[in-house]
Amino acid sequence: MNAVLQYAVQGLAAGSFYALAALGLAVIFGVLGVVNFAHGAFYMLGAVTTAVLLDTLDLTLWWSLLVVPVLMFVFGVAVERLLVRWLLRLDPLYNFLLTFGLTLVLVELVKQRYGVSGLPYRAPEALQGRVDLAGVVLPRYQLFVFLFSVAICVLVWLVMTRTRVGMIVRASTEKPELARALGINVGRWVTPVFGFGVALAGLAGVLAAPFRAITADMGNNFAIILFAVVVIGGLGSIVGAVVAGFLVGLVEAFGQAYAPTFAQILIFVLMALIILVRPAGLFGRKEATA
Amino acid sequence: MKSKRIRAGAAAITGILLLGACGRGGPAGSDGDFTDGKLVLAVLNDQSGVYKDASGPNSVKAVRMAVADYQKKYGDQAVVDDIEVTSTDHQNKPDIANTKAKELYERGGADVILDVPTSSAALAVANQAKSHKKLFLDVSAATTELTGAQCNKYTFQWAYNTYMLANGTGTTVTRNGDRNWHIIYPDYQFGQDMTKSFTEAITKAGGTVQGTIPTPFPNDNFATFLTKAGSTNPDVIGTMQAGGDLINVVKQFNESGLKERGVDLAVGLMLITDIHSLGVDQFAGTLFTDAWYWNMDAQARAWADRFHDETGTRPTFEHAGNYSAALQYLEAVQEAGTDNADAVVGKLEGKKINDVFLRNGEVRAKDHLVIHDAYLARVKEPSEVREPWDYEEIVTTIPAAEAFAPAEASTCSL
Amino acid sequence: MTQSVVTPAPVAEAPPAAATGAPGLRWVLLAAGLVTALALPWFVYPPVAMDIVAMALFAIALDILLGYTGLLSFGHAAFWGSSAYVTGLIATHYGVPFPVAVVGGALFAMVLALPAGYLSVRRSGIYFAMVTLAFAQLVYFVGYQWSDLTGGENGLQGVPREFFGIEPVETDSFYFYYAALPILLLGMWAAWRIVHSPFGRVLVSIRDNTQRARALGYEVEKYKVIAFVLSAGLTGLAGGVFAINHGFVALTELHWSTSGEVVLMTVLGGIGTLWGGVLGAFLAVMLADYLASSGFDGIDLVTGSVFVLVVLLFRRGLWGTVRHRWLTWQRRRTSPGRTSAGADPSRRGP
Repeated sequence: MNAVLQYAVQGLAAGSFYALAALGLAVIFGVLGVVNFAHGAFYMLGAVTTAVLLDTLDLTLWWSLLVVPVLMFVFGVAVERLLVRWLLRLDPLYNFLLTFGLTLVLVELVKQRYGVSGLPYRAPEALQGRVDLAGVVLPRYQLFVFLFSVAICVLVWLVMTRTRVGMIVRASTEKPELARALGINVGRWVTPVFGFGVALAGLAGVLAAPFRAITADMGNNFAIILFAVVVIGGLGSIVGAVVAGFLVGLVEAFGQAYAPTFAQILIFVLMALIILVRPAGLFGRKEATA
Repeated sequence: MKSKRIRAGAAAITGILLLGACGRGGPAGSDGDFTDGKLVLAVLNDQSGVYKDASGPNSVKAVRMAVADYQKKYGDQAVVDDIEVTSTDHQNKPDIANTKAKELYERGGADVILDVPTSSAALAVANQAKSHKKLFLDVSAATTELTGAQCNKYTFQWAYNTYMLANGTGTTVTRNGDRNWHIIYPDYQFGQDMTKSFTEAITKAGGTVQGTIPTPFPNDNFATFLTKAGSTNPDVIGTMQAGGDLINVVKQFNESGLKERGVDLAVGLMLITDIHSLGVDQFAGTLFTDAWYWNMDAQARAWADRFHDETGTRPTFEHAGNYSAALQYLEAVQEAGTDNADAVVGKLEGKKINDVFLRNGEVRAKDHLVIHDAYLARVKEPSEVREPWDYEEIVTTIPAAEAFAPAEASTCSL
Repeated sequence: MTQSVVTPAPVAEAPPAAATGAPGLRWVLLAAGLVTALALPWFVYPPVAMDIVAMALFAIALDILLGYTGLLSFGHAAFWGSSAYVTGLIATHYGVPFPVAVVGGALFAMVLALPAGYLSVRRSGIYFAMVTLAFAQLVYFVGYQWSDLTGGENGLQGVPREFFGIEPVETDSFYFYYAALPILLLGMWAAWRIVHSPFGRVLVSIRDNTQRARALGYEVEKYKVIAFVLSAGLTGLAGGVFAINHGFVALTELHWSTSGEVVLMTVLGGIGTLWGGVLGAFLAVMLADYLASSGFDGIDLVTGSVFVLVVLLFRRGLWGTVRHRWLTWQRRRTSPGRTSAGADPSRRGP
């Protein structure tokens, strides 16, 4: 029982990364209709920036949690303005290809600048060590990652449901036809939403810095699992992205515990099952055309 | 109309085949002692992918240093004046490595290919060496297949292999008191080989392996694996992960609290570049087997200083291994007086060598594995580090005969 | 602002192929293509030349899906790589002439494509790309872990090159090129037949307007699955020849980066042009070959930038741009004053 609880928390911690990043992917897709292949690269950039900030400016994790998303937001805005924007009127596949090319460039640039072996990073003292919750000993950092991302997800949810901007974004994500029919002008939110999505990927990267290898390649496999996550959750759904993110984390953890070699394969098997049973994903619209 | 096209095509093909047969003579005959009157050393490695830092462009520089040393040593007595060092980047793609090796042997005039990281690429190059009857001195690839089932007359494994890594660490750590092991390994060939060798070494040294856990690759989440491994209360957890995955394991191991519970971490394959990138504090105390360390004695240090002047960084064992392989190849050529591969192989086989890299080295005639002393190293505490790249303390020297599997055990027949 | 979710525009601009106009040009291009194919190993190192032609068929096979069915597969490495492995295994264990092994590999790729296609076509557009990518990753993991069969990361080494005991073909890659070329040319011809058959026209109509095709009574999913399987088969043909050419198979062939590479070739050559893939493959293979000895260590920087530039500025690709120019020029010449309503390329070169 103890072990099961431990696996569960580990799964939720791993799922936090997927949930945060998938949330970003989902909003971008919702408002722009773009599947951002570079999401894994943005996650990597978030982690690399965190490591570089610690190294050069002595900026601790706490500051990075604030600063890096802002930087990534600005970067995302630039990418949208300079590149993504020009292809929005075309088939979404073109932006998929564009962001794929962008991924190659970003990964290679990081390799050129920071080498292939990775960057060092140390978590703040306050987050090291373990906490004992009624006999279940949990690493403090994993608990923090989980709680922090749940908080972010709740915050995003509040913004989405309580503010006008949020409602516009949500409407155009989940009911694009209706949003347009009601004459809502989504256009002016396109750039900030892209930046926001990129910032979420970057934030996942910041959280990853203390306990994952910070290398140029760290986002590659992550991005592919992320795609499985959004397919499972349903691309058009914000809730779906978050729920599927945590779900995939749990599948991964319990897979690791009971069928170690197949931990990653299980995720794709789950995806295949979902496509078979509910092609639109767990929370997806019935007929999603894209 | 269709048949006409086919016939026309057939005619064209026949024509070209005939032309081809006439135009291309047999392989260029060697009139003198050296084909084309020169010696070509071709370094083929990964200069843009994950192995760039560990070997890469700096290995080319190391080979150039060997050529310079050879020329300085023999001067007018050198049997060949014109020595060329070429550099090729296989981009960590085995098929490019394969084609380039073929091209280097066939058209680039390469007499020897050096380095070649990644086992699939190295094995492919070994096959090219075999069919072209030219030399291949592997430095960076660790698979025992190269000198085992897939060995051949023209291929030598110069620096290390999985057996050396596993045996050294497994035996020594067990003897030093960590008797109960739990091993996590990436579930692919390298990881499986390492785990097998580790288990044998541990059992032989009187320890027990409580469990082995295969993990997916690549993977960035090892928390559950570590929890599971820790649940049997082992003295030490052995990890066979490499590169980025190794860093993931170490970070998550440090975070899991196992260290405080007195569980040690032993690493199967660690390169000094890994320590450099993650920081010595994260690895402090970790035990692993190294083929060579730049600051292990005065001779190594002197060479490392020269290397530093050339490259601005400290050498990995792969850099030193490439230097040694190139230098000893040149020595063998000097002895043979020709670049004829069979003659050079004859001079290399059974040769006992002591140089910057090889201590008590011997080129084993049976399987072309170059055995030499290996070292059990401990990563220093941050407080012990005196200068950049000062990361390792050599705990034990493992004599050549123990460091590698005995020749009798080899499945190789040349 | 656009909502491409609602109004998907077809990826390829090219409308269905009603092969009209300038038959003479076609034959000239066909002859030029054949001569180039035959002359290639005289100018390019033969194993590299073989890679170019194999990759070209790979790109063409992908274009059947991308250009003519409107489906972007980002997981074609699964078929390329698994055929390479099966071809290698057949050649190693049964010692049959290599064309037989290659056909075996291609058949395996088709068998594998059946369930994969069945699942993937349940989603279209961008979902399809993601699902195929995930599926290919699954195949990659299996290949990695099943090392008893695949040799894992050591690769499947020592694949023999049997060819009815004809010594030069078996040992010299120059002659091997001519022995293997017919297989690949046959594959290309098959691709051309497929897109110009009535079946191919249905595919294009599905691409252009799925609802309409469905209304006309076509079983859209069935057509898509068949196209997927055919494309996988041709991909398998190319992958098998590639394996025999190299004499070994490595896991890279199953990796997603290989899927990305072939998409680049197709996009660079021109989506929906079929033959553009040949140009794309030529450039991509020659670039990698050149960079290997150039001392420049950032190949992905080049590849990625090319991707971004082509997608932003030359969406027609090389072949598409040339064809477009040629057609507008010709149209202007033959009927001045005609507007661009039908100016898009309406015909494919041979």
